[in-house]
Amino acid sequence: MNLLLGLLSNMLLAAIPAAGFGMSFNVPRRVLLWCAAGGALGRGLRFLLLRTGMPIPWATLLAAAAVSSLGVYAAQRLRAHPKVFTVAAMIPMIPGVPIYTALIALIEIQRRGLTNELLSTALSSALLSVFIVAALAIGLALPGLLFYRRRPVV
Amino acid sequence: MSEPPHLPMTEPQQREITRLCVESGLRLMQHGAESALIESLSCRLGLALGVRSVEVAVMANALILTTLGADHCITTVRRSADRGINMHVITEVQRAILEVEEGRLDPASYRAALEAVQPLRYPRWLLSLVIGLSCACFARLAEADVEACGLVFLASGLAMYVRLRLAKLHFSPLLTFFASAFVATSLAGLGLLLKLTLTPRIALATCVLFLVPGFPLINGVSDMVKGYSNIGLARLAWATLLSAASCGGILLAMTVWKLWGWP
Repeated sequence: MNLLLGLLSNMLLAAIPAAGFGMSFNVPRRVLLWCAAGGALGRGLRFLLLRTGMPIPWATLLAAAAVSSLGVYAAQRLRAHPKVFTVAAMIPMIPGVPIYTALIALIEIQRRGLTNELLSTALSSALLSVFIVAALAIGLALPGLLFYRRRPVV
Repeated sequence: MSEPPHLPMTEPQQREITRLCVESGLRLMQHGAESALIESLSCRLGLALGVRSVEVAVMANALILTTLGADHCITTVRRSADRGINMHVITEVQRAILEVEEGRLDPASYRAALEAVQPLRYPRWLLSLVIGLSCACFARLAEADVEACGLVFLASGLAMYVRLRLAKLHFSPLLTFFASAFVATSLAGLGLLLKLTLTPRIALATCVLFLVPGFPLINGVSDMVKGYSNIGLARLAWATLLSAASCGGILLAMTVWKLWGWP
């Protein structure tokens, strides 16, 4: 029950920003629904995978690949390039808090001098963000790399 | 996709097809398509309209395109000015090209279709509202309390409005990002200064998330992966500059309002 509630709230909370960022990329109105669906699928799948104990970069990779596959399906139905809505759907998985933490820790090192605690915060947050962003980009490219090697999706 | 016929064509006809190809590619480029899409769509358009082959070189701020006709080739260059990310334009141009491939548009009607594509723009107040809401959702996803989410909604919404106003006045995006990061951090910092919330740090971190340059980053990585290293590096450098500008705004706000201190 708790799991289901967590899943649903995660999916809803991801669908809104996915559609919101879709609007800031001027995605056409009818396609916004696909942005929201992609955002919900990505975040929801990642939530479930994290529950099984998978590390967050790998969970992100699989979730991004799932969103990208949904994007291929939707692209063929809508006659539009998948990037049109998959990029907005990736936004809720961008590691905002780790990026910010790394940045602030780096500045604190400059202001207050180096301590082991600050250095380890800065490094581990920065590495985590880099891994997650790389996983997002690779996952997004995965259907193209595996299945659409020499032919266009649309 | 059947093999299109290589019709015998006159030089004016080939010239017009070349222009159509380069103008379509340019529209895609100006509105934020990745290089692979720019190249493949302009090539497909040219082939569907009957030239033998189309060669495209995508550069960071220009497009070079050559069509090979029956007995000579025509090369043309267009400078590209960034018109802002607009997926609506990309969708419409792609649909028109698909119709040419299906044989439902000839060069004249394709030109009419291309020129009829007007960029869709959502109203500023609506965008500010949904971006505020989106960042509030991010805060909630990062387990902030309800007060922090409300604060983020206000901070991001107002900062997004500032960003859109400044963009309308044609300020450099770097200045725009700097100013909106300053506004967002200042407003969210109220949570820390006035002790409005138990999770002020999450509010500070999530209120600037709308400034993450998602499109340049992802386009940059996919360009690099697909072998367009030049333009990929240019996009990644631009994304880095935009992030640096946002960092500058955050830092200025933290220094002015003394928002320091590790939780």
